[in-house]
Amino acid sequence: MKPIWSIATTTVGEAIRRRVLLIILLIGLLILTIAPGLSVLTARSETTTLISMMYAVLQGVSALIAIILTVYMIPNEIERRTIYTILSKPVQRWQFLVGKYLGAVLALALMMGLMSAVMLGVFYFQQQPDMAKMAELAKGPILYFVQMCLLAAVAIFFSTFTTPIVNFFLSTGLYAVGTVLNPVYDTFASTNSNQFIKTVAQIITTVLPNFGNYNVQNPIINPGQIIANETVFYLNATVYGVFYISVLLVAGILIFDRREV
Amino acid sequence: MRGTKPLVGALVVLFLAQALLCNYALRDKWNKDFGPGSGKGLVHANSSPEQVLLQLFGLREFAAGILWVKADSFFETGNYDAILPIIRLVTWLDPKQIDVYATGMWHLGYNFTDEEQRSDRRYIPSALALGKEGAAQNPNTYEMFFETGWMWYHKIDDDYFQAVKWMKEAQQRPDMLAARKNLLAGALERDGKIEESLMTRYKLLDEANERLKKDPAYGNMTMRDTIENNIDTMLIRMSQRGVFARERNDGSFERLPYDVKPPFETGFSVKVTVEDPRIIRFEGTWNVLPVGTRIRAIVRDANYPGAKLAELDWDSQSNVDLDPPRDLTYMQEQLFVKNRRFNRRVDMSKDPTMYPFTTDKYLVEFYYNPRSAAVHIQDKFGWNGEGMTDANYLRLDVRPDQRVVYTTLTLTRDQILRRGEWQDRVPIVKTPNYVEQKGAGIEDEMFAVPSMMAEPAKPPPGG
Repeated sequence: MKPIWSIATTTVGEAIRRRVLLIILLIGLLILTIAPGLSVLTARSETTTLISMMYAVLQGVSALIAIILTVYMIPNEIERRTIYTILSKPVQRWQFLVGKYLGAVLALALMMGLMSAVMLGVFYFQQQPDMAKMAELAKGPILYFVQMCLLAAVAIFFSTFTTPIVNFFLSTGLYAVGTVLNPVYDTFASTNSNQFIKTVAQIITTVLPNFGNYNVQNPIINPGQIIANETVFYLNATVYGVFYISVLLVAGILIFDRREV
Repeated sequence: MRGTKPLVGALVVLFLAQALLCNYALRDKWNKDFGPGSGKGLVHANSSPEQVLLQLFGLREFAAGILWVKADSFFETGNYDAILPIIRLVTWLDPKQIDVYATGMWHLGYNFTDEEQRSDRRYIPSALALGKEGAAQNPNTYEMFFETGWMWYHKIDDDYFQAVKWMKEAQQRPDMLAARKNLLAGALERDGKIEESLMTRYKLLDEANERLKKDPAYGNMTMRDTIENNIDTMLIRMSQRGVFARERNDGSFERLPYDVKPPFETGFSVKVTVEDPRIIRFEGTWNVLPVGTRIRAIVRDANYPGAKLAELDWDSQSNVDLDPPRDLTYMQEQLFVKNRRFNRRVDMSKDPTMYPFTTDKYLVEFYYNPRSAAVHIQDKFGWNGEGMTDANYLRLDVRPDQRVVYTTLTLTRDQILRRGEWQDRVPIVKTPNYVEQKGAGIEDEMFAVPSMMAEPAKPPPGG
């Protein structure tokens, strides 16, 4: 456990020092801060537009950070040959990979935590809501964090056998597809009577990581919906994320273990 | 690395576990509770790639709001056709934006008119489909249920059972406005459910009294007084129209002179003249002297799909199709009766897209329904036409439990377009009882306003 933790903390330090990530984070924080001023552009209620936009910024910036943070992690270590120094010590390859991933997750937690705090602060000063509304608003970032952990696992998995550029597009593409899996499946299941197409849709939505499960913003943006067992859904989505992250890490370990470095 | 088998085993087990969770605990639940629209995925909505991107990055509401602002500028410039796709796009992007559904319904139902301000009723099924979709997407608020009910009640002005159905759905929602609840009683009355209407008004009175106890505001007081007044008026009407007497079933209805007795002979007759291509004149008689009668006249394709007697199958669409059937013709006009006759020229020549006249045979329908009548006329005719008769055109089979006046005439395409043998001959079709009018002139400048009760009906002038 100790080597994993050492690698993780080192990775967090590296992530915080990377300018590109800091610039992205800064832009995200800036947009979150000026978001209340942009809601006048639309015809919807200020609260609705504000929540919608803040969530969009939080999610978009977090996804960008998660991908950029992780696609370079292992290739950089190999390119700079620092991986030899690490692996010459009593550190297994799987410990290295898990440590790197945990470091990415911790860095993500820091950055997303900061953005969420700014988002909640801006919303509080702009809208003066009650605590129930604030608690409602805080639910979104929690699941977004699980979503970004899953995205980071996808990128780490690809980074064990692809170049950073290829990985960037693969991860982004998979994130885009994984986000719309639920409505796509719903469309095929409800409008198509062809069993073959339904089965294919089911296989695709089962195999690919389903990022859409974490997009829980709609009832928060449009309140009034009664959702039964919401907490159970949140827990299930988190457990699903843990399972899929584990799948990706185990697959990554199996590939990385056979790789020439 | 040794021991890859356990890892592969773990991989398989974890993969199966996520698959089970995804299929049985998450996907359907997400679509039901967290999806942007009930049962309407991206593919269903035919979103373009850039729209998908917007949706992916969570800017649905923002984009929809900006588009709606754009639609507002089209409203101002009268560019109504351009608004429709925006309405559709906004409802796809943001199905929770109720204003867009409501405005879209109104726009489809009311704003597409010909040069003489007659609605293009071919849009109504689409408007209702939009209302149904809006209600399905926003089931927790009364608004779209009410809007859909209002369209049945006010625009279609017929099939009141549909208005009742939607208004009742609206009443189920906790956010239903107190003032709007009154409309259900009105819809029930027009649907011939008089007792239920009265009970609804009493229930509303109880609620109004409760509100007044909690808050003696002026608004609460006037609302209570209005409901009370409506109940009083309704009780008087029920009494005078013999509703209670018929309920008692003790012979008093037959014995006593209730307002609906004897049935009033309407003496309906009509002549239809095609004066010029696509220009039709309706002339006819209607024995009712007080002002306020409007007889529905319809010109439509004889084989209009799903057409019913004096109406279309308004509820025929479940999917919103913003294009009306461009090859079909459906013109509806209200013939205003003055001094016991009507004379109306309908010019369809300026709107060839609304009245394409592409088929060979056309039906001209005439319909009078007491449930939609003005109250002072309904006082004589009764809610269901029990105080009305017509020697030639009274029908009991057109609408359930109602006595209505209904008849049809036919015209051909050549007659309407004044082509072929009708180029130099004026096509005229009329009911057998039509007698040519005389004396139309100075007396038509004035209204004769006696009471319907004052004297027995006379034959129409000129006869």
